[in-house]
Amino acid sequence: MAASPDLLFGLRNSFYLGAYQAAISSSDIPNLTANDALERDVIVQRSYIGIGSYKLVINEIDSSAPTALQAVKLLALYLSGSKEAAISSIQEWLSDAALGNNPVLRLIAGIIYMHEQDYNEALKHTNAGGTMELYALNVQIFIKMHRSDYAEKQLKMMQQIDEDHTLTQLANAWLDLAVGGSKIQEAYLIFQDFSEKYQMTGMVLNGKAVCCIHMGHFDEAESLLLEALNKDAKDAETLANLVVCSLHLGKPSTRFLNQLKLLHPDHMLVKRLATAEDNFDRAVQSIA
Amino acid sequence: MVRGPRSVKRANQAARAGRKEEISPPPSVVGRPSSVFRLLLQISSGSDLISRSSSQIPGRKTPQDPTSDLSPRSDLQSMLTKFETKSNRVKGVSFHSKRPWVLASLHSGVVQLWDYRMGTLIDRFDEHDGPVRGVHFHKSQPLFVSGGDCYFVQIRSNNLKCSIYLYLFSEGDALFVGDDYKIKVWNYKTHRCLFTLLGHLDYIRTVQFHDEHPWIVSASDDQTIRIWNWQSRTCISVLTGHNHYVMCASFHPKEDLVVSASLDQTIRVWDISSLRKKVAPADDLLRLGQINSDLFGGVDAVVKYVLEGHDRGVNWASFHPSLPLIVSGADDRQVKLWRMNDTKAWEVDTLRGHMNNVSCVMFHAKQDIIVSNSEDKSIRIWDATKRTGIQTFRREHDRFWILAAHPELNLLAAGHDSGMIVFKLERERPAFSVSGDALYYVKDRFLRVYEFSSQKDNQVVPIRRPGSVSLNQGPRTLSFSPTENAVLICSDVDGGSYELYIVPKDAAGRGDYMQDARKGAGASAVFVARNRFAVLDKSSNQAIVKNLKNEIVKKSPLPIGTDAIYYAGTGNLLCRAEDRVLIFDLQQRIVLGELQTPSVKYIVWSSDMESVALLGKHTIVIANKKLVHRCTLHETIRVKSGAWDDKGVFIYTTLNHIKYCLPNGDGGIIKTLDNTIYITKVSGNNIYCLDRDGKNHTISIDSTEYVFKLSLFHKRYDHVMNMIRNSQLCGQAVISYLQQKGFPEVALHFVKDEKTRFNLALESGNIQIAVASAKEIDDKDHWYRLGIEALRQGNTSIVEYAYQRTKNFERLSFLYLITGNEEKLSKMLKIAEIKNDIMGQFHNAMYLGDVHERIKILEHAGHLPLAYVTAVSHGLKEIASRLATELGENVPTLPEGKKRSLLLPPSSLICCGDWPMLRVMRGIFDNGLDTGKAGNEEEEDASNADWGDEELDIVDVDDMIQNADIGITAELDDGIPNEDNEEGGWDLEDLELPPDADTPKASGNATSLFVAPTPGMPVSQIWIQKSSLAGEHVAAGNFDTAMRLLTRQLGFKNFAPLKPLFMDLLLGSHTYMNAFASAPAMSIAVERNWSESASPNVRGPPALIFKFFQMDEKLKAAYRATTDGKFPEALRLFLNILHAIPLIVVDSRREVDEVKELIEIAREYVLGLKIEVKRKELKDNSVRQQELAAYFTNCKLQKIHSRLVLTNAMTICYKGGNFATAANFARMLLENGPTEIQAKKARQVLQHAGDRQDANQLNYDYRNPFVVCGETYVPIYRGQKDVSCPYCGARFVPSAEGHLCSVCELAVVGADASGLLCSPAQSR
Repeated sequence: MAASPDLLFGLRNSFYLGAYQAAISSSDIPNLTANDALERDVIVQRSYIGIGSYKLVINEIDSSAPTALQAVKLLALYLSGSKEAAISSIQEWLSDAALGNNPVLRLIAGIIYMHEQDYNEALKHTNAGGTMELYALNVQIFIKMHRSDYAEKQLKMMQQIDEDHTLTQLANAWLDLAVGGSKIQEAYLIFQDFSEKYQMTGMVLNGKAVCCIHMGHFDEAESLLLEALNKDAKDAETLANLVVCSLHLGKPSTRFLNQLKLLHPDHMLVKRLATAEDNFDRAVQSIA
Repeated sequence: MVRGPRSVKRANQAARAGRKEEISPPPSVVGRPSSVFRLLLQISSGSDLISRSSSQIPGRKTPQDPTSDLSPRSDLQSMLTKFETKSNRVKGVSFHSKRPWVLASLHSGVVQLWDYRMGTLIDRFDEHDGPVRGVHFHKSQPLFVSGGDCYFVQIRSNNLKCSIYLYLFSEGDALFVGDDYKIKVWNYKTHRCLFTLLGHLDYIRTVQFHDEHPWIVSASDDQTIRIWNWQSRTCISVLTGHNHYVMCASFHPKEDLVVSASLDQTIRVWDISSLRKKVAPADDLLRLGQINSDLFGGVDAVVKYVLEGHDRGVNWASFHPSLPLIVSGADDRQVKLWRMNDTKAWEVDTLRGHMNNVSCVMFHAKQDIIVSNSEDKSIRIWDATKRTGIQTFRREHDRFWILAAHPELNLLAAGHDSGMIVFKLERERPAFSVSGDALYYVKDRFLRVYEFSSQKDNQVVPIRRPGSVSLNQGPRTLSFSPTENAVLICSDVDGGSYELYIVPKDAAGRGDYMQDARKGAGASAVFVARNRFAVLDKSSNQAIVKNLKNEIVKKSPLPIGTDAIYYAGTGNLLCRAEDRVLIFDLQQRIVLGELQTPSVKYIVWSSDMESVALLGKHTIVIANKKLVHRCTLHETIRVKSGAWDDKGVFIYTTLNHIKYCLPNGDGGIIKTLDNTIYITKVSGNNIYCLDRDGKNHTISIDSTEYVFKLSLFHKRYDHVMNMIRNSQLCGQAVISYLQQKGFPEVALHFVKDEKTRFNLALESGNIQIAVASAKEIDDKDHWYRLGIEALRQGNTSIVEYAYQRTKNFERLSFLYLITGNEEKLSKMLKIAEIKNDIMGQFHNAMYLGDVHERIKILEHAGHLPLAYVTAVSHGLKEIASRLATELGENVPTLPEGKKRSLLLPPSSLICCGDWPMLRVMRGIFDNGLDTGKAGNEEEEDASNADWGDEELDIVDVDDMIQNADIGITAELDDGIPNEDNEEGGWDLEDLELPPDADTPKASGNATSLFVAPTPGMPVSQIWIQKSSLAGEHVAAGNFDTAMRLLTRQLGFKNFAPLKPLFMDLLLGSHTYMNAFASAPAMSIAVERNWSESASPNVRGPPALIFKFFQMDEKLKAAYRATTDGKFPEALRLFLNILHAIPLIVVDSRREVDEVKELIEIAREYVLGLKIEVKRKELKDNSVRQQELAAYFTNCKLQKIHSRLVLTNAMTICYKGGNFATAANFARMLLENGPTEIQAKKARQVLQHAGDRQDANQLNYDYRNPFVVCGETYVPIYRGQKDVSCPYCGARFVPSAEGHLCSVCELAVVGADASGLLCSPAQSR
């Protein structure tokens, strides 16, 4: 652990906690080494992706940029709709021995395959780990696969590296939520810590709210979510959780649901609802 | 320093420095009596009594290695010096029992009185002519005694003075001893020596008051000990027996014993019980001569034990305060411990370690320790039980001569070669930490919790005893993590260490088991996050962050040489160096703020963590969370503790005051303290604190002053005004504060004194008050000043008034001139005329432009030429010629070529009246006057709040009676469109999307070396496996199994009404979270009945959005709608309930019964309401209408609804001419406890119906019990065949079998079904 101050700490933290705008605006850090500057650029570009400015990222990164940034560009391409092109390029790069080991590239590959729900393929590139981000992604992939036992192993590794790292804490919270039970409270405390230490982001507020919902504290969850909605009226997860929370409170949820359908037609909740309606009709027919 | 041979004594009297080796006993007095004494003793009690005790176990304790004392261990550091003086050698010290005073008697003959708290010399008493060795305060009287060693013979004539002093003495006084052989008793209040006790023939070594009797004991080099009565001022006993100088003598605190130490190497214990018997003062006087004549009588005091054991002269011996123990110190460098019982006394042990003569030694009153000091320049602390050295305090150059303990506090004083030290052995500040409503603190080996609100105090965890018995090893600081219930206790054990305890959650009231604390070394340790604490490693200057398992999480080098760390918000440390503090972010490793401060001792954060108070020894620095300096306060007295109140005022204590500090640095005293306290929390007018014994106290304070000042500071003038109105806040301090802060207008409200009021009013420009005050004062100066201010403001009427009052005519005239008030000006002219004030007349005339008048005045005044010139100038020829004749030859010549004009003042713009007035700042308080009396009582909108609103019913009924059912119809018409609107929102949710979007695709191409694990089972699948409850299957998204279950259990066929419920249930089963940036969000299954103790990884059932208690609310809403006559809405609500129930899951069987009950209720209402709706549709069929109305009465409804239904049916039947049926309904209504109006109506119906028969035959026989068919709405009388709905239980005529139930609209009538399953309890 270096004794010199970690100049990118604040930037990274903002990014991990979903404060993308803050990350972008605080990116002007003097006296960075070349490595740090690259990392900074990667984070900034990914932050732009985070706020949905895919085009900007695609335009800004030219072909002479380092691999890491190129990988980020691929992610932007993928998310902006050119899925096949992005996947084929990433496969090509991954098979290139010179580039294939780049942690950012592997990370982006993991993210893209996660979107593709091809977890095996994702893990193929990420499982080796190497950076905190890769481990954290692994935790999430395993949670997605409902293999919290594997996720826990990844988390252990992260804890060994740096227990207080923001990603470690976050991954811990994810896992806590996934395994449920008494762990929910711990997840809540982790988000609580974040909210005390750093600025309240939609992600942190959502995290707290989700914990509250799981603990049955719907009123508190609602106020947290409304606070999050104030910060970002278009946030998909906030809207989705508001739907859930309103339903539990017996309040009308239609407004949030319609907003979500409008703004994020691809959101999991919207998809799930559509599937369910289809299922319902089919089930009715099969019963009849 | 070894004592020289006795023969050297008195070799040089002049150079005597009070050293005992220089003095020899006076020749004649000693020899015989002492030897006689010894003889007597030997005869009476045998030698074993005084022989050396056998308890000294050889080899048990080796003398401490002297070199070990020279080891670099810096012991002096741990001595808590409170106060130090520099002076001549101090040979006697004494504490005052109540006041913070200490007496020091100096070798130079002076006795000094110090306030050790303030550090100031209060007084000096210098009547002794030689060194003063002994000094002692009286316990209760304002007296002290001193003994000195002057060689002058006391002149007897002083006696006269003494008698005068005696009078003063009775009101209270203290005691010295001096080397002038004199004992002087002083009154420190009057600063006088009351009298001198003469008798000793050589230097006096010590003097001491008796606690109860008016006695003084003195020890002298004349080998005697004398006991004096200070009231009669006589010697009442002379204790002889020592055959060398007596170095010290003292009373036993309780028993009639005196202990003395002598250079004859013995310690003697004297029994003085016989002395008590002859206490009567008259007796004393009588005895005086006798004693003097019979020095060896010894009847009053007999030697009880002679303790031998020291090899050299004994310098000091003292009693244990409660046990029969004596401790002594001698020139053999040893401290000896002696025990005695009724018959004998023996040596118990020897404490070796001092490297030179032990000069003084004593037991500590509160702890089991012995304190000794020595000419080896050290003070040593010994464990009295284990008899081992605990601590050594060493000084560079000063030999120690005397020790004294405070009678009540934990203070000690020691006199040395160049002054005196007042010190403490142990810190008394309890380690504590405040968390919310709880105070965690350590007392007597226990961690305790004190709840501020309830004042409950519980011990929770026993704290480990430190391994080594050493001083100041107790807990020093305490840090608490509320979420983890963990406590860190730091102490100085092993050069700084911490212990980590977890407080059991249910520990209230218990705390009997010892838990194994996790330990570690570190200068200080403090929680920096919920489950992280930082430990300061001084050697490497690192902060070591650890988790609750005491494992190192990380290490972080600190930016400055840090000697203590404190909490500074999550993840941040406040590091303290000698001259600065800084806040360091442990994760980013950056410094967030830095501040130069004098040495900081304690840190107090405000509850919002926005402000911090840094307490130093004599300073308080207030800063914000980035350590930006706000203000600094300096205190002359030591600052002890502090806490923030909720309003942002810092309340702190010094040794003797509670004070406050406002955010702007203004401070003040709140209260004076008798004892030192440590503030733990401030809440409103209460200060919570711990005292030095670790007891919790609540102190009520009057916060008005600082709240007032704070309000001023925050410009909350309404508060200020309120406080001025309602409280007795007054005093010069507040006024000058207000004036100084620029609020003279506020100060005005406090002042009664008119002059001050006047000044303040002028200052604030409040002219009205100024006028009122000026009237009261009524002197010229004030009127004048009022005039000036009024003029400044343009208030000319006040100016005029002021000038009038002071009869200042010139000014008045000028005022009238500039205000253009000619009328008044002419009045002024007249007044001047009356007063014969020619100059005034002239001025006024000139102001008025009245030439005639001017000429007249000049003429009257005898200035004829001037009058003439004036007349000529203004062309008044007649007058001019008249004057010319009068002047004769002296007619002055007028200059030629000048144009003449009348000098007239310009006319004023605004005539008579005030000028436009200066805006005077007055608003803030006049505007802020609304005292908030405006009644904010919110009137609850009572209408419709409760469905049992009788008022509403009456209206309905009235309407019904007057114009048939128009009322209800009208209401219905109102209701229906509303309902349509509301329901419009429900049909939008039809979106077609591809299926199975969220089931992961199985991709089998795991070709690389890494083999990914097979995906686990989603939680929703686990839910289904376990459950046979339809609701849970729906939540899991397995609709077909859910439907199958419903069909099997309840015979459902029509699922369409359930679709939105299914959707909502499914949507409510998962939450969503954005996890990794740009990665797809996670969805997390929500489980029911979460509890803190639920174990992770064990899946609970899904949380369903439909909860039974919500049904209750829905039911209430439906009832209300029914009461309001909104039938379609009510119907919808009841159906809603009926539709949601199949998806409900409850926990207990009891609730299952309630659910079933609810189905019945809903079913009855649905049926009834459907009948009613049907009735409304049949406008033209009166008979059927009446029948349906009658059937409605058959439904089991709430009483209030039954009454309405009955009234309705009664009215309809009456109108339809079916009087008998109507009368029947009327009777039923009357039995049902109707309202006044309903009852009246029913009686009317009964009256009118009389015995009249029904006009039409109705299919309704109220005598024959029946149920109504849910489909055809015909009665099915008892005994007739029927079929029922498997779910809602509605009855139908047999022909309806196989149809969809028209009540619940879900199940098939007459279908086979196993029954409602809505709780896991049912399947167990």
